[in-house]
Amino acid sequence: MLRRRQIGKAGWGWSLFAGVISLIYFFPVLWIILTAFKTRADTLATPPKLFFTPTLDNFVSVFSRTMVGGQEAIDTGFGLFFFNSIFIAGTSVLLALIIGTLAAYGFSRYPLRGNDTYLFIILTTRMLPPIVVIIPIFLMFRITGLSGTYFGIILLYTAFNLPFSIWMIKSFFDELNREVEDAARMDGSSERRVFFRISLPQVTAGLAATAVFALILTWNEFLFALLLTGTETRTVPVAMGRTIGGEIGVDYGLLGAIVSLFLIPVFVVTFALQNQLLRGVTFGTIRK
Amino acid sequence: MTALEVEGIVKRFGDVTALDGLSFEAGAGEFFCLLGPSAAGKTTALRAIAGLERLDAGRVRFGGRDVTDDPVQGRGFAMIFQTFALYPHLTAFENLAYPLREEKRPADEVARRVDEIAEMLRISHALGRKPNTLSGGEQQRVAIGRALIRRPGLLLLDEPLTNLDAKLRHDTRAEFKRLHRELGMTMVYATPDQLEALTMAERLAVLRDGRIVQTGTPEELYATPGDSFVATMVGAPPMNLIPGEISRNGSGPVLSLPFAELDAGRWRGAATATEPVLFGIRPHDIAPVNGERRGPGFSATVHLTEPLGDVTVIDLQASDSLVKMVLPEHEALAYRVGDKVDVEISMEDTHLFFRETGVLIPSVERPDQ
Repeated sequence: MLRRRQIGKAGWGWSLFAGVISLIYFFPVLWIILTAFKTRADTLATPPKLFFTPTLDNFVSVFSRTMVGGQEAIDTGFGLFFFNSIFIAGTSVLLALIIGTLAAYGFSRYPLRGNDTYLFIILTTRMLPPIVVIIPIFLMFRITGLSGTYFGIILLYTAFNLPFSIWMIKSFFDELNREVEDAARMDGSSERRVFFRISLPQVTAGLAATAVFALILTWNEFLFALLLTGTETRTVPVAMGRTIGGEIGVDYGLLGAIVSLFLIPVFVVTFALQNQLLRGVTFGTIRK
Repeated sequence: MTALEVEGIVKRFGDVTALDGLSFEAGAGEFFCLLGPSAAGKTTALRAIAGLERLDAGRVRFGGRDVTDDPVQGRGFAMIFQTFALYPHLTAFENLAYPLREEKRPADEVARRVDEIAEMLRISHALGRKPNTLSGGEQQRVAIGRALIRRPGLLLLDEPLTNLDAKLRHDTRAEFKRLHRELGMTMVYATPDQLEALTMAERLAVLRDGRIVQTGTPEELYATPGDSFVATMVGAPPMNLIPGEISRNGSGPVLSLPFAELDAGRWRGAATATEPVLFGIRPHDIAPVNGERRGPGFSATVHLTEPLGDVTVIDLQASDSLVKMVLPEHEALAYRVGDKVDVEISMEDTHLFFRETGVLIPSVERPDQ
């Protein structure tokens, strides 16, 4: 059981110190959120304005705005792009988690001859920077027709997340007391039930931690998405990149609004899993 | 009647042979102990009987049926693990209910039997809690309850007291004896602690390097250890083993120790030539003499005293050897480190072992017979 230290016990000095450090870390995020509520004039003001009249115009323009020279506000497609980001990241993380959990349990409990070699080979797929493999992958996707499809990009992200997921989840399985599983066998459980009823419930914290890390990686991914998604499957980072520039230059207010919205899903997921996450990160550091 | 029959089981882990042809039998309803130092193969032996380890050779039979190739789940044995191995994500109630749920028992029967066993083990108050909020003793009793709830034919216990504090260990020893008496099931209990083995077991086997050295009742093993290893494993403080030599002179065999010459008439048959031996004497068979020494004995100085409460262990130094002696606490008060003391030994319960092999040298007769 985690027991929180009594609030105020650290004293004013340390609390202030911690507050200042937190502010330094949080400041860029705060800046983006503030910018999202500024008018175009306010975003460019020097010195920067901390107090201003907030506006929601930027958030409206994320989804529909009047293009230069146009008359009517038109749909920017960002509704679809947000859906794409959520759908693609969510599905591929879920798939990586399911496959990764099964693989990790296998590697942990039923080691093959040369187990470590297999694990190393899996890890090597993450050693090359994405930019190195992007051309062959691009060509493969073109030839197989996977380019621009949900299936293609989900497949790629799942493969992209798997090595990390397998390694991380395996470490959680390795930490478990194996006698507990033997106890379940003695109590009459089949191997399948040992996995689902005994082993799996014990690593939920680890799964949550893995899911959050994988989700953030996938959510932010730009390079593969830029080259391998089409107009219908475009994700937010790519769409955001395309907003920069054009006839009116950089619209910081609009970008601020997109980023603010883009932060929300990751924030919600991380917040929802925070207790699990804390347990996941500190797992095995305390003797049971 | 024999319930469990273990016949020549062998288990290797890579180059390490954990069990090297282990054989023993436990009678129906018997409390059988496997006593041995760590890494002697006790845990592996239990796991092999349970079916958790695949054997490289040998058979395991239970109730006349060969179960060697049966899966773990089909043997109907239960095991209490050293770490308790409770299901950490389940409440105490669900931990106890688990074996019954795996048997697909109806909910009302599960509830009834969990309540019964919780009452018997006095953990009814803790049923709603998760294992990590239970005390060590409560965890232990949940582990016992989970093992007993299916009324197994054979209960295997792997050092179940190791993770408990001294007071609880004492209480739980009594608890195991009570459970064994009330339930009458066959129990195989592995422990490195000779006190647990001697107090609980009806019969015990001493293990060393994956083999059984000697099997017998606690009394037999205490009185006639088959070799010097058993002699030191059974009994506390352990038997003194003093290197010496046995030889013949005109009147009969003589035992030469570094600090004394003793009459070795009891080993008259064995002592045909000069032989390096180990002389085994229990600390209880040494006592200080007041005034003139009449029987066999020696002079020594007090090297160290260890008060244990009711008794005190005194380490005596005689020439280069250290010899332990046990005295009641009030008698031991008279001795300080460095004191000279004359001690007498009672020869009836002493033993001789070949120094090379550790094997017991049989005595011809016991003077009291």
